[in-house]
Parts: sequence; structure tokens; C-alpha cells
Amino acid sequence: MNQIAPKSRRSLLKTATAVAGAVAGSTLPSLASAAPAGQGVEIIKIVSSLPLTGPSYGQSISVVNAIRLAIEEAGRKVGNFVIEYEALDDATAAAAKWMAEKEAENANKALNDPDTMVYIGTMNSGAAKVSIPILNQANLVMISPANTYPGLTKPGKGEANEPDVYYPSGVRNYTRVVPADDLQGAVGANWAKKLGAKTAYVIDDTELYGKGIADVFVASADKIGMKVVGRSGIDGKASDYRAVATNVRALKPDVVYFGGISDNNAAKVLKDLRDGGFEGNFIGPDGIFDTTFLKTAGDAAEGVYCTFGGVAVSSYEGSAKEFAEKYKAAYHADPEAYAIYGYEAAKVALAAIAAAGVKDRTKIRDAVFATKDYKGILGTWGFDANGDTSVTTMSVSIAKRLDDGTLSWEKVEILTAG
Amino acid sequence: MLTFEYFLQQLVTGLANGMLITLVAIGYTLVYGIVEIINFAHGDVFMLGAFSSVTTLQALGAQAVKRVANKDQSPIPETYLWLLIALVTSMVFCATLNVLIERLAYRRLRRGSRMAPLISAIGVSFILQNVGIYWKGVSPVNFPRYIPQIDLVKAMGIDSFVRVTTKDVFVLIVTVPLVIALTLFIQRTKLGKAMRATAQDRDAAQLMGIDTNRTIALTFLLGGALAGAAGLVSGLYNNTAGFQMGFSYGLNSFTAAVLGGIGNLNGAMLGGVFIGILAAMSDGYLDARWTPVVIFGTLNLVLIIRPSGILGQDLAERA
Amino acid sequence: MQTAPRMTPGRRAYVEVPADPQQTRNRILQAIAVAFIVAYPFLDLLFGWQALLAFIPMMLMITLALGLNIVVGYAGLLDLGYAAFYAIGAYAAAFFTSPNSPLARVLPGSPFAWMQDFWVAMIMAVLVSGFAGALLGAPTLRLRGDYLALVTLGFGEIVPRLIKNLEPWTKGVKGMNPIGRPYLFGCQFGVDPCEILGMKLKLGMIPYYYLTLVIGAISIFAIIRLRNSRLGRAWAAIRDDEIAAQGMGINPVTTKLWAFSLGASFSGATGAIFGAYLQTISPDQFEYSTSVIVLCMVILGGTGNIWGVMLGGLLIQSFDRIFAERLTGWIHKAGALTGDPTITAAFNSFDLLKSRLLVFGLCLVLIMNLRPQGILPNRKRRETALTDLPEEDLVPEESVLIAGADVPTEKPR
Repeated sequence: MNQIAPKSRRSLLKTATAVAGAVAGSTLPSLASAAPAGQGVEIIKIVSSLPLTGPSYGQSISVVNAIRLAIEEAGRKVGNFVIEYEALDDATAAAAKWMAEKEAENANKALNDPDTMVYIGTMNSGAAKVSIPILNQANLVMISPANTYPGLTKPGKGEANEPDVYYPSGVRNYTRVVPADDLQGAVGANWAKKLGAKTAYVIDDTELYGKGIADVFVASADKIGMKVVGRSGIDGKASDYRAVATNVRALKPDVVYFGGISDNNAAKVLKDLRDGGFEGNFIGPDGIFDTTFLKTAGDAAEGVYCTFGGVAVSSYEGSAKEFAEKYKAAYHADPEAYAIYGYEAAKVALAAIAAAGVKDRTKIRDAVFATKDYKGILGTWGFDANGDTSVTTMSVSIAKRLDDGTLSWEKVEILTAG
Repeated sequence: MLTFEYFLQQLVTGLANGMLITLVAIGYTLVYGIVEIINFAHGDVFMLGAFSSVTTLQALGAQAVKRVANKDQSPIPETYLWLLIALVTSMVFCATLNVLIERLAYRRLRRGSRMAPLISAIGVSFILQNVGIYWKGVSPVNFPRYIPQIDLVKAMGIDSFVRVTTKDVFVLIVTVPLVIALTLFIQRTKLGKAMRATAQDRDAAQLMGIDTNRTIALTFLLGGALAGAAGLVSGLYNNTAGFQMGFSYGLNSFTAAVLGGIGNLNGAMLGGVFIGILAAMSDGYLDARWTPVVIFGTLNLVLIIRPSGILGQDLAERA
Repeated sequence: MQTAPRMTPGRRAYVEVPADPQQTRNRILQAIAVAFIVAYPFLDLLFGWQALLAFIPMMLMITLALGLNIVVGYAGLLDLGYAAFYAIGAYAAAFFTSPNSPLARVLPGSPFAWMQDFWVAMIMAVLVSGFAGALLGAPTLRLRGDYLALVTLGFGEIVPRLIKNLEPWTKGVKGMNPIGRPYLFGCQFGVDPCEILGMKLKLGMIPYYYLTLVIGAISIFAIIRLRNSRLGRAWAAIRDDEIAAQGMGINPVTTKLWAFSLGASFSGATGAIFGAYLQTISPDQFEYSTSVIVLCMVILGGTGNIWGVMLGGLLIQSFDRIFAERLTGWIHKAGALTGDPTITAAFNSFDLLKSRLLVFGLCLVLIMNLRPQGILPNRKRRETALTDLPEEDLVPEESVLIAGADVPTEKPR
């Protein structure tokens, strides 16, 4: 019987108290959010789920701030509803990046909170694969400021069972304000061709976004008769890419396309290519459309092309510029690339809540999907039946050194993807 | 693609990278050889070394940065002094840091099970990474271009696909003397002898009147100093630094140390160069996608065939 | 979970000790803990704690740590690539059950269609992981100590890369989804509403909670049995002194191979459930950081002691998933409680979001330095003792024989 020694029993005790502690702790926030309800004021909660721990912090917090900004501007109110916002983190400290089980937890948290009506997220398409089916069952609408994996919404662009596999209820609940990779990869290829390129070398960062968009680039290049002479998948944490650069030098492509993000060493790839003597054009997707890339690449960045979804964004003019200024005034920092999408996602959510006029997930979901001819900061656009943005216009920007010596992305041309 | 010149070019790339890996690998090998701890935090010490170099260089050479920004590629004479200052600061900084880590996180655990220091090291690694995030943010940062990129082969009037740049040479100029100096220090000096004695048998060394605590601290000091040097050199060579660079370098360096035979300085160098060249060849001839598989596959094969590493003695069986 | 220890009738030599009040109290607390854990999902629903979804992955990770404990704690083999086996388990289950897998084109309609059943796939995952463990172990287990650690680390790096690169079979970075769901009484887990005996129930993720609980309990039971078996004693012997053990006729290679293979097989079951629970798996869920965290859980709590491992797991996981996230909020609340505006403002300016890695690392370093043997050290001496010695008699002996940590071999300053 008594094999378990006294000390081990104490471990049970500790276990129990630890569990109790954890549970007691977890009651606090829900109590807090329940408190101010009543007296005819109804609360509608918007939550976001983005990776706030680890390297993605900078990009994510910028989106969170932008959402906050949008809600503050609305006076935290829509009609009779008081709007509350909670930023959930889908990353854990141990992994320092988004974790699937954390995303599942966030989605279920949102689902179980009767006040939550809109779920803004996710940053990573992989995370969206986890949360869409969970939220789909509850008709809770999702607006992603950053997912670009085509298979999430578009039939025939991903795996055979995509996107239906994500929508068990049969009704769509997921929208995104960013154009998907299939548009951007194609625009990248078209632009390369327009620059006169006949051959291309494709590099990706072996992640869902980067590899996906590079795959689309390769497919589009085939279609428009541009030859892909070589391809490499790099490790975003590696120290250098000289061997890849040597490859590029040996193959002499007219253009190098990089599928990936700034934080996966996009600038370093570029620098090694230039050091290795590559003189052709370097084109990247919106993953490098940020100041990080310009700062890290330094001189090498000059003349780099970058595609981006939306019209006015690339040079931040008109309402987008206004947003950047407001953002800077509020948070004393420049908005990161996806902040503007976060802002637009929140604005659309608020508009949909106003249009629905009731605190009802299904109605609000339908209202979001009914967004048409919306005059937003990204131009005038709407959602199609798949939940994709109708924005098919893409802008191409070039990195230029301004008179004051700083590097900046300047709009070159507006392209339309077919 | 399959020309001999292409092969040579990848060899040059691999060699320069291999020497950098060696500098970090020596830190692992020294520490492991003497206290049998896999110092997981070592890669992150190296990362902070690179960060400290950026900070020093930026502080010293604000105008130089401006000149570089204005595409003035010609090196300013005083930059060499600045580089020296940066090198020394970085080495001192990392050496101090490493000694502090040993004192605070490992010393108490030296006599216990081998698992405890491992976890402690992982903890330190997390802490240092977060310090890195505080210091320079999460995105890679630009490292000022102090070493011009001049193709020496072309400068000699030979027209070839192969380029050996001043940067490649710079790496060798800094790393080779450091490795030689360290080898001499360990083989010829009294302190070096104390280190070797402590590595062989700590208790016996103590009985012989060696202050093992000080000797171990010295080992961490040397490892840290080399990591600091590697931080600067890698920054100047690669022109980028990021808080995650410690992980990939650390992994490769540790692999190199084991491959060469852990505890063996020449082994670390051999392993470092081997890993550097292997990675370059795999990047060049296969696809960078497969490089980690190639490196770790080779490592596992080597260990299965020769469990003590290429130059290792019986250490693997010592456990 | 807590009932398992009573199910170990294997050891006869213990003397029945008359019940003392302390023991009775402990037993009552045990019963309360078990009752709490079993009833937790309903309490969670009732009080709206919303932590159920944090507990499921937490328990899965703890089960994973228990499996790793066989390798690290019992056999003394340092494994830095345990996540590889976890990945192999998850992908094995996905291979059999996912419509995206290459097998899905072959299996339906074939005589092997029954393999697409989740439970069958889970057992296959266990077997495949165990086999992978043996496969990696066979050539490498003669390596000792940190060399083995490096081989496992290499393996842990290779497996996710292979999954990423072998796109035609594994779907690469896109991952596989959906994955077959476990079911009971014709009711699929995680699909609502679900009909049992004519009743329509909305269970949400609760079935997964009990599934992980049951798998955890089975693991604990199996591990205790293993530890006390001939094999378990051989592990302990090899861990303590391989040469002596060899002299006593124990074959170190087969013994270690069993540890490696069995340890890996536990992660197979966990991987299968993890995949089913999330319905999607991708290679980046199984990277080095997972291996490291599971290892931290094993060592932090106390290598070789299953209760220690569980406690370590609970601490790390609850910190990572619950406390770290809410800590900032608590600090802000604490500031508000003081009522003083300046203090409140000072507390409010505090944001731990950017410091989570630091806090986490600091905890690891502190705990290891305060308790080098883990929070609840392994008490292997006790296992061989014939009677229940009072704890006080054991402690010094233990520390000399196992730890040596308290022995002042160096001059105190």
C-alpha cells in the first residue's frame, strides 16, 4: 500500500494548491469583465489573437495599438453598445512564437464569452487553420489583418479539401483585409516581367507565408514565360547566405524574388547577394514592406521592389498618411506594416456592429460579410463571398533614399492582379 | 554550375564561416572539457558580443557611419583604432558576462547531477535572449560596414569566378592568431597547465594546490573573450546581428566541437571548418533547405562510426 | 490521475504502518485533489473559469514529460530531441486518419480501411514512435552522456526539417488537416451537438480533457509498473553504474534501447491526441523549443520521480500558459489596491509582456540553484529499503549518495 512516501503526498498537496491557485487566478479577469454590465448598457467585446511574446511582438503590438486607436476614435461606443477590447496572445514564452494549442485556447475563450462578437486575428495563417473551425461552430466572425495563405478562403488554391475543411458548419465566418498570396505572388511575377526579366531565381524562408508566395511566383512565372533558373529555401536564423549568393552569381538571373519576411533575414539575403556581385533586381512581397528591412539592409536596399496589397498604402498618402500621423501621435512610434490592416479590420468590425444593430453573432457575421463599397483607409473595397477583400489592386514600391538621407518605400505603380 | 571554380568559391565561403564557428566552438569545448557542462548560453553570449560591438562602433564612429551612408567606401584611418577598441570592449564584456554566468548560475551546481546545470544554462540562455531583445529589438539590426569588400583575386589581375574578398581575409587574420594564442596559452603557461590539470581530474588538481574555482572561472573568461571576438568579427563579416543569431551559431558551434572531439582545441577548429565547408557545399550543390539535415545527418554518422569525434580521445566513454 | 499509486500491488516487502492522523489527512487531501481534477470541467463551466483549454495541452505536455522521464530519469540518458518522437507520433496518426495524407488515396475501400479509425491510428502512432526510438537508439546508444544528447538533438532538428521538405508526403509547411477525431459511443470528440442515448449534449472540448486525463493516468500506472519491474531496476542499475550493472549480467544496450523506445512510444500517443485535439499539425509545432521545455519540466520537478515531474510540468506549463499572461494584470491590480495614485501609476507602467523570456529563464536558474536535484528529488534509496524509514533518516544519506551537492568539497569562503 504505502509505497508513496510522505514527501510525495505533499507533492499531491502542492499539486492541488497549484491547480487551485491557477484557477483562482483565472477567475479574476472574467469577473472583472462581468462587473460593469447592466443598466441597459450592453457590452460588445472585440478580441484579437496575435503573437505578443517573442520576435513577433513588434509587429503584433503595432496591430494591437492600431485596433485600440480605431476603437478609441469611435469613442469606445457603437450606438448603444459599449465596445470593449481584449488583446489575447497566441504565443507562449517557452516557444517564443505562436503555438497552435494557445490559439485553440484563445478561440475557445472567445467562443465561451457571450460578449465577444468579433475575433480579429490571426497573424499567422497556420494559427488561423486552428481557430477558424472552432469559431465557425459558433458563427463568430473572424477578421484577419495578416493571413495570406490562399487555401484558407479560396477553393482550388490550396489542398483539395480546402477551404471547406475549415468551415464545418458550411457557412463562412472568416474574412481578411489583406489580399492573399495568390494575388501577390502573381503581381510579383508580372512586375518582374515588366522590368524586362527573362530569368528569375527564387528564394524562400521555408515558412508557410514565404514558401507559399514563392510557390505562386514560380507558377505565375511559368505562365508568363519567365524562366525560374534556381530556387533555395533558407533558414531565417542562419548567419549568412553567401553560398546561395554564389549560386545566384553562377546562374546570372535577371531578377531574384524573395518570399519571406524581414525578421527572417530578408535584408541579409539581399546584402549577401549584392556582396556576391548580383546586380539585377530584387523583388519581395509585403513581408519586407517595413522599416526594419530598410534599416537592416542599409545601402543595399536602394532600388529594391516590393509588392503590397491596397492602393494608397505604399506611400502612405491620403487617409493612410493621416492614420500614420495619428498612430505616431498616440504611440510615439511608426506603425509597422500590418498596423494599417489591424486598423482597417477594427473599423470594419465597428461598422458591421453598427449595421447589424444587435448583439448577435450571426447578424454581425452577416454584416461583416455584407461589407461592400466600404470607404476605408485602404481605398474603397468590400468582402467577396469567400471573405476575401475585393482589393485586387496592388502597389509596387521601390526603396529610395530621400533627400534627408533616410530610406523610404516610394510608390512606383499600381497593378491589378487578374 | 559544376565547375571547379564554383567549388573553390564555396570552399572559400565555408572556410571563412568555419573559422567563425571555430571561435564560438572553442568556448563550448573549453567549458565542456573542464566542467562537463554544455553551456547552452554560450551562443547567446556571442550574440550579446555582437550587440556590444554594434553599440561601441556606433558610439565611436557616428561620423564614420554617416560617411558610409554617403557611400564613401574608403576606410577612414581611425576606424582601425575603433575596431580595436570595439574588439577589446566586446571581449572584455563577454568575458565578464561569462564569468558572472559561471559564478551565479553554474558554480553551485558543479557537484550535483549533470542535468541541473543544463537547465540552468537553458534558463540563462532565455535571459540573455531577452536582454538582447531589450537592447536591439527583435528584428535584425544593421552592422556598420567597416571592412571594405574588395575582391583580392581581381585586384591581383586574375579574372576568375572565384572571389576572395578582404572580408574573408579579415576573418582569417583575426581568428587564426586568436586560436594560436589560446593554444599556446593552454600548452605553455602555468595557468594553462592548471586548466589542463583541472580538466583531467578536478579533485586531484585541487590536492595539488590548484585553485580550481579560479581555474574554472578563467576557462569561462577565455571562452567568453573568444565569443566576444567572434561577435565583432561575425558582425563585420555578415553586417547583420539579431537576437536569434546565438541559437543557430551556438548549435553549429556545439556540433563542431563535438564533431572534432569535445575538449580538444584542434578538434574544435577542425570541426568548425568542417561544418562551415559542409554547410556551404550543401547550400551550393543541394539546397539550403537540406543543409541542417545534411549537417546533423553527418554528425550522427560520424558519432556512430567514431563515437569520440574526429580528434577526441576516450572522452566519449568517460561520461 | 492520483488514484494510480494505489494500483501498485507489485511490492510486497513494505510493512503496514498503522495509520497516523497525518496520513489520514494526506489521504483526504489526495481524495479531494482527485475529485477536483475529475470534476474540473464542470466546475470550470459552472464558475466560468475558462481555463479548461489551458489544462488540456498542459496535461498533454505533462504526459510527454512522463515519457521523457523514462529516458532521462530512469535510464539516465540525456535526450534533447524528444519532440521528434512527438512529431512522429502526431504525423503517424495524421497519416492514417487525415484525408490529406497519401494513405487516404490508398486505404479507403482496401482491406486496411479499418486503419483510418482514430483509436487504431493512435495505437499505430505509439508503435511507430516506439519503433523510431529503437531505430535511432540502436546505433547510438553506445555513446554516452552528452554525445548521445547531441545525437538526439541532431535527430530533433532533422525530423521537422524532413517533414518540411518532403512535401509530397507530409504537405510540408502547410501541415496536415483535418485529423481523425477520437470517438466514443458514436460521438465524435469536439463536434457539437453530440447524441448519446438519445440525449443531445453540448460537450465542447470536455471529452478531450477526459481523454488526456485517462491517457495520463494510464501512463502513470504503466510507468510505475515499469519502474518497479525487472526492467526498471535494470535502468536504475545502469544509470548508477553501468560497469557494475554489466557485471551483474545486465545488457546495457538492450536495456537502454527499451528505455528509449518505450519513452518514445509515450510521446506517440500524446502526439496523436494533440493532433486530433488541434485538428491540424505542422512541422513548426515540434521544434527544438518543445524538446527543451519538456526536458525542463522533467528536471525542474525532480528527475526520476514521477510526482516531481508532474509538479515540474504543472509549474512550467501553468507559468507559461496562465501566470505569465496574467501577471501584468495582477501587478496593475495590486497597484490599484494601494489607492495611492503615484504608486498605481508606477505599477501600471509595468508591463511584463516584453520580459516573459527573462522571467521564465530567471525561474529556471533560481529553482535549479536552490534545488539542484529538482523540487521533489528522486528517492531511489527508498525503493530498495525494506521498511518505510522516517524521511529525516534518508535525507543526508541521499544527498551524499546521489547528489553530493551538499558535500562541502570546496573550502567555504
